[in-house]
Amino acid sequence: MRHPSDGTLRRLLDEPAGVTDADREHVTGCPACRSGLTAARQDAAITSAALSVGFDTRWHRPSNATTGVAPSVEFALDVDTGWHHQSNAAASAGSSFEVAVDAGGHRQSNAATGAASSLEVAVEVDTGWQPQPNVVPGEALSVEFDVDVDAGWHRQSNTAASVGSSVEFDVDVEAGWQRLSNAVAAEEGRGSATAVSRWRSAAPGRRWRAVLRSPVVAVVGVVVLLAGAGAAVAGDWLQILRTEQIAPVVAPQADLVKLPDLSAFGKLEITEKLGVREVADVGAAEKASGLSVPWVSKLPHGVTGEPTYHVAARISAVFTFSAEKAAQTAAAAGQTPPPPPPGLDGSQFRLVAGPGVASVWSKARGIPAMIVVRAAAPTVYSSGIPFDTARDYLLSLPSLSEEVASQLRAFSGDGTTLPVVVSVERLASSTADVGGVPATVLTSRNGVMAGVVWVDDGIVTAVAGSLSADEVLSVARGLRWDR
Amino acid sequence: MVAGREDGGVVASPPGGGAVRADLEQVFRAAYPRVVAVAARVLGSRDEAEDVAQEVFLRFGRSAVPAGEAVGWLSVAAAHTALNHLRSGRRRVSREEAADDGDAVSPDVADAVVAREERRRVRAALARLPRRQAVALVLRHSGLSYAEVAAALDLSPGSVGTIVRRAESALREELNRHASSE
Repeated sequence: MRHPSDGTLRRLLDEPAGVTDADREHVTGCPACRSGLTAARQDAAITSAALSVGFDTRWHRPSNATTGVAPSVEFALDVDTGWHHQSNAAASAGSSFEVAVDAGGHRQSNAATGAASSLEVAVEVDTGWQPQPNVVPGEALSVEFDVDVDAGWHRQSNTAASVGSSVEFDVDVEAGWQRLSNAVAAEEGRGSATAVSRWRSAAPGRRWRAVLRSPVVAVVGVVVLLAGAGAAVAGDWLQILRTEQIAPVVAPQADLVKLPDLSAFGKLEITEKLGVREVADVGAAEKASGLSVPWVSKLPHGVTGEPTYHVAARISAVFTFSAEKAAQTAAAAGQTPPPPPPGLDGSQFRLVAGPGVASVWSKARGIPAMIVVRAAAPTVYSSGIPFDTARDYLLSLPSLSEEVASQLRAFSGDGTTLPVVVSVERLASSTADVGGVPATVLTSRNGVMAGVVWVDDGIVTAVAGSLSADEVLSVARGLRWDR
Repeated sequence: MVAGREDGGVVASPPGGGAVRADLEQVFRAAYPRVVAVAARVLGSRDEAEDVAQEVFLRFGRSAVPAGEAVGWLSVAAAHTALNHLRSGRRRVSREEAADDGDAVSPDVADAVVAREERRRVRAALARLPRRQAVALVLRHSGLSYAEVAAALDLSPGSVGTIVRRAESALREELNRHASSE
C-alpha cells in the first residue's frame, strides 16, 4: 500500500477524523510513516511555540498548549475560556485534561457559551487515550496510537475548530468597534465622528436599519445632545428625559457631522452591552423581552411568509463629562467653549434603552423586506440638572450650526421629546397619525425605503422596510395585539 | 473568495468600494476576536494585532464580500496584512520591547523554548516563508479547521495538511538556519 502523504500525516495530528481509516491503519503499522508523524509532530510543536511567543502578558493565555498535536491540546489552546468546564467534564470521565491548565490560564474560568458546547463532547473521547498537553518535540510516539477516534472526537474537533480563536483572546470588542466607527467616519472626510453621524453617513440601508431597528441610535442621539451639557452635583439619578415623542431635526448633512464626538467631551462606559439574538417564536420573544409583539393583519405586496423574531436585551451606558477634555477639544479646533455650568465637570449621565423585540420578514441577502420593532424608549438619567440647562449649554457650543440649534430650541423643556436627527439629503420626514398617536414618517430620497416610528406609553414602535410610506403606515395602523 | 497574491502578499480589494456595508458592525462584533488572534499569531503583539484588525475591517467595510464568507476573508486579510507589516518593518520596536518586559514576569513555557531574542527571529523567519504557506500556517495555528482554511484560501481540504506541513518544516529550517548563522 502506498504511504499516506505528509499532508495526511499532518492532518492526522489535528483532525484524525478527516483521515481515512485505511490511512490510519497504515500509519499504525508502518515505521516509516510513524517516523514521518514524529517529524510532523515536532515541527508542529515548534511552530506552535514559535507563533505563541511575544504575546503581551495581559493576554494570560495558556502558553504551554500546543496546536497540531493532540485533541486536548487543541482545546487548551483554542477554547481557553471554556477550559475550566471542559476539564471538569473530562475529569468526570476519568481523563487527565486538567493538566493542561497552567498558571496563566486563570482567565479560563470565564466560560464562553460557544465553548460550553464542547464540554459535552469532551467526555466522549475515549478515556483510554492520554492527552499530552505539555508537548515536547520528540516525545514517545505511542501516545499517537492510543487515540481512539470515535464519533465524539469528530464532533469535538469540529467544535474546537469552529470555536477557534474567537474565544482565545479577551479583546475589547466595544472599544474596537468605537475605534473603527471613528475611523470609518474620518475616512469619509466628514469631520468629527459622532455616533450619530456614523449611522447617518453610512449606506442608506444601514442607516435605516440603524435608526429603526435599534434603540441604541436613539440613545446615542440623546447622549450627543447632552454630552456637551453636563450635569450638576452627584446624587440620585434623576430622570430628566423620558421619550414620549419623537421629532425629527432636519438639517444639511454637513451640519450634522459637527455634533460633538462623545469621546471629545468625556468618557462613555457601556455598562450593559447590546445583545441581540433570534428566538424561536413569538412566545419566546415576548417572554424574553417582556413586550407584547403585534401581528400584522395584512402584509404589504411583496412581503410574504412568517417573520423571524429577534430580542435585544437592555443596554445601558454611563457618560462622564470632562470639562478639561472638552476644553482641549475646543482648543484643538481653535475655539473657546463657553464656561460650563457649575458642577459640570465629572458629572454623569446614565443612559438606558431596551429591551426590544423585532419581527423580521426577510428577503434575499439578509435585507429585511419589512420589520416591526418595539422597544422600551430610551431614557436618560442625570444627577439633577434640568433638561433646559443641559440643552442650553449644548446650544451654546460653537460646533453646532445655527440651523440645527434653532430647531433644538423648539423642543419642549420638559425633556419629553427625543430629537431624531435626519440627514436632509437622504431622508425626508413628515408627520402622520397612528391610532391617535403622532408618528414620524421617514422616507429615503431615493424612494427605496420608508419607515414610521412613534412612541406610546414609553414604548417605541417602528415599522420599516423596502416599502412606500403609504404601505408602512397601512401596516402600522393595522397592527393587532390579540392572538 | 478573495485571497492574497502568492508573491506580493496583497489582499485584493473586492468590488463594491464606496458606501459602508450594512452588516459591518454585526460582522465586527462576531469576528473581531478571531481577526485579532490571527494577526497576533504573526505579530506576537496585542496592540499591533488590534491595529491590523482595524485596518482589515476598514477594508471589509468597503467591500462586497458575501456575509457568509466574511470570517474567512477577514482571517486571510488579517494574516496578509500582518505579514506585510512584518516585511515592511512597520513594527514598532517599543511595543516589542514592552512585550518582552512583560514576558520577563510570565511563567511562559514557550519562553523556555524560544528565548527572548529568538522571538524576533521567529517573526523574521515567518516573513521569509512563501506567502501562501505562511497564511495557511497562521490560520491553522489560529484555530481555523482544515475545512475553514481550505475555504478561506480556496484550497481542497486535503491540500491544507500538505501546505501546513511544508510551512512548518520550512519555518523550522528557517529558524535553524538563522540559529546556525549566529
